[in-house]
Amino acid sequence: MTMIRRLFLSVAACAALAITAGPIQADQAADAAQEAKAAQSVDTSQFKKDGPYKVGVSAGYLSNSWVVFALQHVRWEASNHPEITDVIVTDAAFNPAKQIADIEDLLRQDIDILIYWPVDDSAIADVLKRAVDAGVPTIQAGGGFTDDPGTVSNAYISQWQLGEMVARQLMADLGGKGKIIAMLPIAGTTAAVDQLGALEAVLADHPDVELVSIEYGDWNRAKAKQITENLLQRFPTIDGVFSPAGQMSIGVAEAFDEAGRLEEVTMSPGDEYNGWLKWVAQHGKAGAVTFPTRAGQEAVKIGVKVLKGEPVTRGTAVPSEYIAPADIDGYVDPAAPDDWWASELPPEFLPKQ
Amino acid sequence: MAVARLSTGLDLERAGIWLLLATAVAASALTIPEFRDPANLANILRQSSVLGILAIGQTFVIAVGMIDLSVGMIAGLVVVLACWILGGDPELTLVAVALMLALGSAIGLLNGLLVNRLKLHPLILTFAMLSVLQGVIFTITDRSVGRASPTLQAIANGSLLGFPLSAILLLAVLALFHVVFSHSRFGYHLIAVGGNAEGARRAGVDVKRVRLACFVISGFLAALAGLLLAGRLGTGYPLAGSGLELDAIVAVVLGGTALAGGRGSVLRSVGGVIALTIISNVLNLLEVSAFVQLFVKGLIVIVAIIVNQPPRERP
Amino acid sequence: MTLLAAPREEAALAFLSRYAIFIVLVLVFGLALAVSDAFLKPAYLGNVTRQIAPVGIAAIGVTFVMILGGVDLSVGAVISLTAVLCAVQMDGEVANIAPAILAACAAGAAIGAANGLVVAFTRVSPFILTLGMGIAVAGLTQIYSGGTARGIVAPGFREFFNHRIGGVLPVLAVAFLALAALGLVVQRLTVFGRQLFLIGSNRRAALLSGTPLAGVTILAYALSGLFGALAGIALLARSGVSNTLSGQGLEFQVLAAVVLGGTTFEGGRGGIGGTVAGVLVLVIAFNLVNISGLPYHMQLVVMGAVIILASAVYGQIGNRSE
Repeated sequence: MTMIRRLFLSVAACAALAITAGPIQADQAADAAQEAKAAQSVDTSQFKKDGPYKVGVSAGYLSNSWVVFALQHVRWEASNHPEITDVIVTDAAFNPAKQIADIEDLLRQDIDILIYWPVDDSAIADVLKRAVDAGVPTIQAGGGFTDDPGTVSNAYISQWQLGEMVARQLMADLGGKGKIIAMLPIAGTTAAVDQLGALEAVLADHPDVELVSIEYGDWNRAKAKQITENLLQRFPTIDGVFSPAGQMSIGVAEAFDEAGRLEEVTMSPGDEYNGWLKWVAQHGKAGAVTFPTRAGQEAVKIGVKVLKGEPVTRGTAVPSEYIAPADIDGYVDPAAPDDWWASELPPEFLPKQ
Repeated sequence: MAVARLSTGLDLERAGIWLLLATAVAASALTIPEFRDPANLANILRQSSVLGILAIGQTFVIAVGMIDLSVGMIAGLVVVLACWILGGDPELTLVAVALMLALGSAIGLLNGLLVNRLKLHPLILTFAMLSVLQGVIFTITDRSVGRASPTLQAIANGSLLGFPLSAILLLAVLALFHVVFSHSRFGYHLIAVGGNAEGARRAGVDVKRVRLACFVISGFLAALAGLLLAGRLGTGYPLAGSGLELDAIVAVVLGGTALAGGRGSVLRSVGGVIALTIISNVLNLLEVSAFVQLFVKGLIVIVAIIVNQPPRERP
Repeated sequence: MTLLAAPREEAALAFLSRYAIFIVLVLVFGLALAVSDAFLKPAYLGNVTRQIAPVGIAAIGVTFVMILGGVDLSVGAVISLTAVLCAVQMDGEVANIAPAILAACAAGAAIGAANGLVVAFTRVSPFILTLGMGIAVAGLTQIYSGGTARGIVAPGFREFFNHRIGGVLPVLAVAFLALAALGLVVQRLTVFGRQLFLIGSNRRAALLSGTPLAGVTILAYALSGLFGALAGIALLARSGVSNTLSGQGLEFQVLAAVVLGGTTFEGGRGGIGGTVAGVLVLVIAFNLVNISGLPYHMQLVVMGAVIILASAVYGQIGNRSE
């Protein structure tokens, strides 16, 4: 039994260690600094070459509907450029070591440009740098803005701005006071850090709104629902929910509904996840702030410019837009699955349904 | 397999992996021009080194009749802690390396002690340890932390005369542990224990100590693999080790070592690792869809263990 | 196990090993009451039971396999596959509900039977085999779905399972308990149930007494796959599914619950009753971790420690009572 005691002691020691690791601070100034960096121009002359072009795509993961839609945007845009002859896709399945190997394998296949979204930014920074040194430009698609030398340009979506728009709308719908909870994606991801930073910045202007609990639902509807069920036990009143990710918002709303407390709560807008859009259409409230899957398309457009030696900036923001509940009919597709995204993809490029 | 053995007299257990490797290399080299590229071959060696070191450790544990599912998470924990230390001060490389190797050995020691004292099935114990370590890693950090030191990164990614440094490290580890495994007293003991623990005990072998030593070796090499992985990633990514334990076991089994214990070869296990890396490399070069690759990987696991199942017990 | 001939102390130990988990359940429940009075509310208890229904249903099937001396780690992947498969087959039509459920069950049972066939006719380690099968099935799920949890759940399907009977007990919780009762009947009252224990405790004796080893093995694994499929359907019913990996990692929880319930890795002991108690202990422990504000990932540590402790305790009791 002494061994077991020792095991528990070491576990407790590690738990204590964890408490000392503080969160990354995001703030408005950082977001502004990022915008300034994104506006800088890139010298593309070193990458200029004639077609035909071979496009390599290194996906950090593909088992996620947003990513699948972004990839279909890559294919669609590639089909609009006759000089692009080939699109090669690899999937690292959330394993950064495999993503490094994937990128090495792609470089061996003489790709002319690399479009990627990372499992983890810093883990692939070195191999990306090697790609750029070897003359293959790299474009980051759909994540937050990256300023590493291994990334030539970004088609980025600002999680900060998304978070801020969602938070401001929630404050307005709440009437500026009440107790709220925040449902965020995977802890530690840029998305979670920036969304929380934006929420806290907005909260500073609304002293009567109290953030009572911050939760991480990992973009998983089932998990968001389970966490919310426990929160409903912990807090007798919850006036509002900050949840920018639609697939989690549905799980949260369902838990409130089943507890008979949906009427008391104000949901924030979610993104243009079809299941959430259906909820908004049905209940006529909350709305949506888009997290556009066309970031993939934007990345290809930037990539082609780079290869032709035309000027590009370090980053091109793919802006989020607010969709009011009244306008939701233009976006929701009642006949499509929940795990689906409002987009302008032509039918032949939609994922299989 | 039994048929092949009878009809040709060829020992597939010993020669199978080398035949598979030779066939895979020849077929790929003939049909895929990119494969022959020396840089690609160097990549394959570099990509094999982390798993190769893990597979060497796993061979010891499997040959002694045990198994160790915690190695992936040990490597993961080492990646996080090493980068956390080195992010603060890259000068501490030697200290961090020593600390991490000690940590890995200690977890291996704990595994071995628990198996010996509590008489737990090693699968259950190390599976539970995997879960505990994963929880510990996530409790320490839920995001990438720190930075690997330039030294570690150079070892993981650098080359000497065009030959990857990490592959040289793998070869050195392989040579050392091959001697321990196949040409030492301890090696004979561990094969005896794996083949027939009761018989070995009667012959005067300290069964518990041999098992304990195998778990310590496994933990030590898992930590070494973790350090190399830290150098390769450059950052302390919390999930870096997940799934590596299964890959290591598959490589060992591909190398002709049955899970029942009593036999094995570290050379063939590393052969198994290189075969796996080549398969992944070729599937990438052939542009096989990532989803199909996952399916193929599962099939390889199933086929490998069926082909290399332990021999029927003699009544 | 020969209670009549055994001295009193051994009888006490045998009693302990059989009922320990129920004592633990009472203790954990008491602790939960002390921490939060939510555990007194019937509606919350219904909720808790519904939360764990997918894991609990899968654990019933895995218990059969583990009594036999095997294990099934492919259930997590089976849950992911069948949840997506069921939704796609429904395609938003009420008329498709029954065929969709049947298709999912058939897929689960077929994967289980494939595991069983290999285990029955080769000497491979079921642990590694089912881990490998889990990877292959995860790949199949991605190939089939294209990476999105496409498919439209038919109207009324989820509403039915989440409906609370009398405003308290969700249908899904009842379904879990009903399946557990069914499993208990199979285990206690059928020839198959007795053969499971015989093979698990003494394979050689089972063989000599003419037990159809291969048939029982294949059936047990097929049942595990079938219950995995039912768990996938339960997950779809409980919360809807927003990705193609929804069952990933659940095999850990399933294994923990079964081992906690007294069904050992070596086989021949335990049963569904213990597993249900194990499932409940686990879910109460998880909720305690949540409610007390500990980080979510401490659940993994709790789970691993629980598996080691339970295995050790049952191992010690088993050694002494034999």
